[in-house]
Amino acid sequence: MIDNFLAGSAALFGDPITILIFVFGVIGGMLFGAIPGVSMLTLAAILLPFSAGLEPAQGVMLFAVIYCTGTYGGAITAILFNIPGAPENAPTAFDGYPMTKQGRAGKAVGAAVLCSAIGGTASALLMMAATEPLAKWAIRNIGPPEIFALVFFGCAVASSVGGKTIWKGWMSVLLGLLVATVGQDPVGGINRYNFGMTDLAAGIAFVPAILGFFAVSEIFIQAEKRAFGKYSAPKLDVNFPTFLELWKYKIAVIRSIFVGFFCGILPGIGATLAAFMGYGEAVRWSKDKESFGKGNLEGVISSETANNAATGAAMIPLLALGLPGGALTAIMVAVFQFHDMEPGPLIFYNSPELIWVVFAAMFYANVSILFIGLIETKTILQLLRIPFHFLAPMILMLASIGSYIGRGLVLDVMVMFLAGMIGFLLRRSGYSIPGIVLGIILGKIGEQNFAQGMQMVHYDLVTYLSRPICALLILAGAITLGTGVYKALAANRTKAKRT
Amino acid sequence: MGKLNTSHLIEAIIWLAIAAIFFIYSFEFNQKIEIYKFGATAWPRSILLLLVLVIIGNLFYQRANGSKAQLGRVGISEDDLDGADKSLSSFINIGSFIFLPLIFAWSLKPVGFYAATPVFTALVIILLGERRPKWIIGITLFIYALIIGLFMVLLNAPLPQGTVSPFYDFSAFMLRMNTQLQHLF
Repeated sequence: MIDNFLAGSAALFGDPITILIFVFGVIGGMLFGAIPGVSMLTLAAILLPFSAGLEPAQGVMLFAVIYCTGTYGGAITAILFNIPGAPENAPTAFDGYPMTKQGRAGKAVGAAVLCSAIGGTASALLMMAATEPLAKWAIRNIGPPEIFALVFFGCAVASSVGGKTIWKGWMSVLLGLLVATVGQDPVGGINRYNFGMTDLAAGIAFVPAILGFFAVSEIFIQAEKRAFGKYSAPKLDVNFPTFLELWKYKIAVIRSIFVGFFCGILPGIGATLAAFMGYGEAVRWSKDKESFGKGNLEGVISSETANNAATGAAMIPLLALGLPGGALTAIMVAVFQFHDMEPGPLIFYNSPELIWVVFAAMFYANVSILFIGLIETKTILQLLRIPFHFLAPMILMLASIGSYIGRGLVLDVMVMFLAGMIGFLLRRSGYSIPGIVLGIILGKIGEQNFAQGMQMVHYDLVTYLSRPICALLILAGAITLGTGVYKALAANRTKAKRT
Repeated sequence: MGKLNTSHLIEAIIWLAIAAIFFIYSFEFNQKIEIYKFGATAWPRSILLLLVLVIIGNLFYQRANGSKAQLGRVGISEDDLDGADKSLSSFINIGSFIFLPLIFAWSLKPVGFYAATPVFTALVIILLGERRPKWIIGITLFIYALIIGLFMVLLNAPLPQGTVSPFYDFSAFMLRMNTQLQHLF
């Protein structure tokens, strides 16, 4: 492994063009992740056509590096403006944004930098050490029933955070799942809910939906506060957390690395669910549950460690099985295809040098998050000085471009602003925006895997649930769901007794 | 009725209406799939069934607790506007601000991105309360230059050009300028 890693490093740093592409990917991913309104996906969509002119290793490496640094970059906007740069940064905003309002933005961003670097580097090392055995294990033990079970567990976790009540949490997730049914069904390709619009046959793209629900609705909320005289500018603070402050959370970091890595390995799941699960587990094991969502540093740490830990793991199903774990890894499949290559088991035998250049680049990209991130953060925090009425039009314009570029459809810009309006109204009524977004992302994956799983077991639910990992995940989801419902019903009963 | 109020009932009716519309529309694609026994409607209808159950659960909760948040919930957005000055002009202001982006999105096809952007940017700044002309023009031009510089010049991103003259001609002019600029380097 070490020999391969050194060979990959030599190939990466032995060619000036490759170095330039690496540096561009690191800085581009961080910047696009950290600019409110656009994300690493915007950059990836713009760069995709150019990647045809690069060497295969350079092309794949560029997107892998953007994936690592962009996942970290999205945390900055989540913390400073309550606008996650990507869906995987949504749980970071739960505690990160309250910290900004309390004048502790520096602590939250500092923790995000360090934990992203730790999570990503640990994941890169695990990926290098265990891609082949883990891929073999995943092939044997993980099938559509397990993926569906994890989607169910993820939905249960998402419903337990963000909404005012468990009911509103579930209504948000179900709305997201319903939105995901628009477009062709994943089994038979039958058009659903396109209301006669051709463009809707491809479904609702999740980038405009995410930008609308997070960025646009946040702008509307702040504009409303401004119009009603309740707006207060976030407080600027550049004090990073001390080593001792972070050391307290070592268990949370280790737990999130494993949670993130496990979610990342599973095809189609990716970093978003990892972040939600990391956050959910932090709440579950904490002695001070009430402080979550009010500016608890552990919330930022758990979410950011888990989502970056998923980046390395997401390469395992992509490279070993040819299955992308999210939007950016799906773009990477296109890069392979541009060069007449197919990611899959054979890639390890046919192009080992490509694999190790990518692995080495991901390792160094995660390490560079720590150094460049800390320098960049001090500058990025100055964004808080820009008055809201100047920042808002810029975010709206960038978000418009970000949603248009993916598919080149004006409809997507319309969807984004509509999602912004709906998100604005739902947030005012106590619904969970991250829950809706997770529902949109997991909807198609859940349906596809449920259908494939049912076909596999000949529609026999007992066989379906007798698979150990599947049963365990369904049970975990059912416990999460049952606990939430029990608490809500207990609240009803207590109230009834009092009256 | 307990603590249920009119807004809770309206909220439930809207949700039920959404569920009903989606259920009725599901008959449009109620076709058999050869390889899949449950067909294309099973998944959305299951979601709709669960949604109706959850709406009923929510109503029961609201009957007992009103709009109060459930104890122990995390990550609830705090967008409280209690005690705010809710004058008619404030409502008009926020209403215009929310609908303006939809007009911008609608205008992208006929007018194009290059012509619609500065107008939209300036209007957003005005609606957010800025009244100093120098600042409105200055910031609008800054944002426009930044976006054109990044997406058109640096990244060559394809943006909507419009279909109606003279907006289309303006977009063509911008793209010609960009091509000439690219040739210089």
